[in-house]
Amino acid sequence: MASSRGEGIYMDLINRLVRNLAGWGRRRLIYAALSVVALVFFATIPLWLDVDESYFGYYFFIVCIYVICAQAWNLLAGYTGQISLAGNAFFGLGAFTMALLWWYDVTKTMYYFDPLLMFLAGVAPVILAIIIGIPLLSRLRGDYFSFGTLGVALMIEALFLNGGSFTRGAEGIYLESSRFVSLTNYYWLALGLAAAATLAVYLLVNGRIGLALKAIREDEVSAASHGINVLKYKLIAFMISAFMAGVAGSVFGYYKFHVEPDGFFNLNWLFYPILMVVLGGTGTIFGPWIGAFFVGALFAYGDIYFGGYHPVFSGVLIILVMLFMPAGIVGLGEKLSFGRVRSFLVRRTE
Amino acid sequence: MSSGSVLLQVLINGVLFGSLYGLAAIGLSIIFGTMRIIFLAQGTMIVFFAYVCYWLAVKAGIDPYISLVIVTPIAFVVGMGLFYALFRRAAALEDRNVSLLLAVGLLWLVENLMLQFWTANARFVSDAVADFNIRTHGINISGGKLIALVIAILAALIVTLWLKRTRVGTAVRAASEDMESTTLMGINSLWVSAVAFAVGLGLAGVAGVSMASVYAFDPGYGFTFSIKALVALSLGGIGNVFGALAGGLILGLLENLAAYYIGAGWIQVVAYAIFILVLIFLPQGLFGRRGVVKKV
Amino acid sequence: MASQLLEVKDLSVAYGDVRALWDVSLEVKEGEIVALVGSNGAGKTTLLKTISGLIHPLKGQIVFAQEDLGKQNPKHRVDRGIVMVPEGRRLFQTLTVRENLRMGAYLPKARASFDASLERVYDLFPILKERANGKAGLLSGGEQQMLAIGRAVMAGPRLVMIDEASLGLSPILTRNIFDLIVALNEQGTTVLLVEQNVNMALKVCHRAYVMKTGRIVMSGTGQELATNDEVRKAYIGSRGSTAARGKGGRAQ
Repeated sequence: MASSRGEGIYMDLINRLVRNLAGWGRRRLIYAALSVVALVFFATIPLWLDVDESYFGYYFFIVCIYVICAQAWNLLAGYTGQISLAGNAFFGLGAFTMALLWWYDVTKTMYYFDPLLMFLAGVAPVILAIIIGIPLLSRLRGDYFSFGTLGVALMIEALFLNGGSFTRGAEGIYLESSRFVSLTNYYWLALGLAAAATLAVYLLVNGRIGLALKAIREDEVSAASHGINVLKYKLIAFMISAFMAGVAGSVFGYYKFHVEPDGFFNLNWLFYPILMVVLGGTGTIFGPWIGAFFVGALFAYGDIYFGGYHPVFSGVLIILVMLFMPAGIVGLGEKLSFGRVRSFLVRRTE
Repeated sequence: MSSGSVLLQVLINGVLFGSLYGLAAIGLSIIFGTMRIIFLAQGTMIVFFAYVCYWLAVKAGIDPYISLVIVTPIAFVVGMGLFYALFRRAAALEDRNVSLLLAVGLLWLVENLMLQFWTANARFVSDAVADFNIRTHGINISGGKLIALVIAILAALIVTLWLKRTRVGTAVRAASEDMESTTLMGINSLWVSAVAFAVGLGLAGVAGVSMASVYAFDPGYGFTFSIKALVALSLGGIGNVFGALAGGLILGLLENLAAYYIGAGWIQVVAYAIFILVLIFLPQGLFGRRGVVKKV
Repeated sequence: MASQLLEVKDLSVAYGDVRALWDVSLEVKEGEIVALVGSNGAGKTTLLKTISGLIHPLKGQIVFAQEDLGKQNPKHRVDRGIVMVPEGRRLFQTLTVRENLRMGAYLPKARASFDASLERVYDLFPILKERANGKAGLLSGGEQQMLAIGRAVMAGPRLVMIDEASLGLSPILTRNIFDLIVALNEQGTTVLLVEQNVNMALKVCHRAYVMKTGRIVMSGTGQELATNDEVRKAYIGSRGSTAARGKGGRAQ
């Protein structure tokens, strides 16, 4: 009896999955398939490439960390229309939460790559998001909101610098670097989290919450008059964004084994994710990935060949993007023949 | 020295330093009026012009107060050039996000260029004229800093007169209030925005020269300075030149008080806390025009 | 026979994907007062904005004094003599009355005749002379409307387009303003009047067009339309006084 019921549930799930997939247009299926292929491809790279030796491992790891931050910003800016400038605060807060919990031996668990720690590292920024989100989101719009978040981010950094013996001021917290085994673990963890973040954003955006967010982005007043609790949805997006950034921070903290204000509250963690999303295409799912690969290359490899000049290129890059393709690479793809070819195909097959 | 005079010294030093914030805030205010964005690169440009002043002094032996006359027009022209090169299309399309990101890109670009070419070492220009002190009632006022304050007040005065009395200035005021209506009068909105932007950068030039001769500076300081200018502007309120200046002076004063009573490391915390509080509870600032800035 | 000053031919305008005007055609002869009436959202303001150059049309032509305006910017059009008084006045509230008027005469040609234009405006609207140094934001509704029109007059226009002159004004003030508009017209300025107050508009105009959802649905003299049953039912209602005399006539 039990087994047939188990089978029944199984078949049910499969049926539902198939029906869902059948409901998707060709385009979505192609994108989904490509995503899975890409995921598998990148996941299996460490099996044949020595990730510790090759620079690619580090590059891809950094890309994935940035993708998480980028998707976090993308969720807010691209889909909700709120430009948050506090990303680096959430990132650093996550890293410090992890480091402090470990340092002060609070949870008495394994600490290194500890899921509990990483989860809590995401929760702390969420708490911050709630504390500042409610006053900022309810009272401030547009630019005022953005600068409010910037002010908070800067204040948080200043607070940690002044944390005295608790947060160890500018020097930061040193963790047991002896725990490091191989970059492969980081590689897979980062890839998994980046994929999860992307999936999370995708599900959110295409669900009921996403609908509300889009309505809010288009016309707040109108959305409110349709009964949408604008504050609630903005806050939810803000909290999720904070969570993702915090987890990313903790993973990077695990990599560096040394969490300090300058490296983790650094404006790079704000600027580069924004650049990546903008370059790839704000408000798209794959935009952050494209942007991350591109800017990550500039960052990681540029550091080798151009020394200290590579931030200059990033500055030039964002200017060029804003001047010539403000819709990002994905936006460009929509405009060029790729978009026309695709819509041509779609029209043929539907 | 009595504690009263120590307090007075702290207050005076704060106000003197705040004059720089004030100058920067005036520039931000004018640029905001027509472009409707906060030009985040203002602080970086101020540091840039401080370097220009520095190199003019070191390489050509030009006294900072003389280079004021050279740097300011250059800054104005640079402003015009930057506007037409970078912001023209975004301004025409009224795409504020693009303008904001362009400003950030410019900030990044200029700051890192300065880092590469001129290193992160702090610079400072010493000036013979400013090398005096006024001592009275147990307090010491540094000559250079006092001159900086005077320059700031003069600049505010000149800008106010320009806005109120000249045709172009009135056009900028009109455009800051209602750009579309201004266009209906046949006034080229792009040109008005360019002029406002150039004036904003001209003020950055003045601030840069002021800063160079009084306080040490380095490339990384630019961004912090932009934010402080923004805090000063929030305090002072948009739409009022002397209000922006006052906001800067008040910020300088409060920062110095915080440094004295709590500790130097807490200056930033206090500054940003003020910022957030003002944004939430007093968005139009202390002296701003009410109801002018719509929370778009 | 009065010459044609403004001709709009098959004008189509869209905001992104949303069409606002469909093949709109109308003409305004020199010296006329032409009214453009219709309810909210009919596209009247869009039409004025397109003529002013704030919006580019999808299709169609705008010809002013035998010149095809094409894609010319607002500055060019103001220079040629087309000035718009926007809906809601859109005065520069923090500027003084005099500064507002000065802004109206910004272009070189207008600047040259600044003094004469100022005289003319003060003649038409004496109250503005009294309040010359006061902030525009402190004026009453009626005074603000006068200033808005005055500001347009400062440019020395051949055609003044007024969008919703009666907005927010009491009936007495409305009549006052319309009297002044007629006075302005009698001085030789052609007027294109966009109005929701169909009653008054039809009384003062020579000819009128009726717009509905982006199209011109009716046209004729003020008198014709005022006595037209459809128009009366749709826009004027049973209470409206439609006694139109002669060329549009003015109810005393």
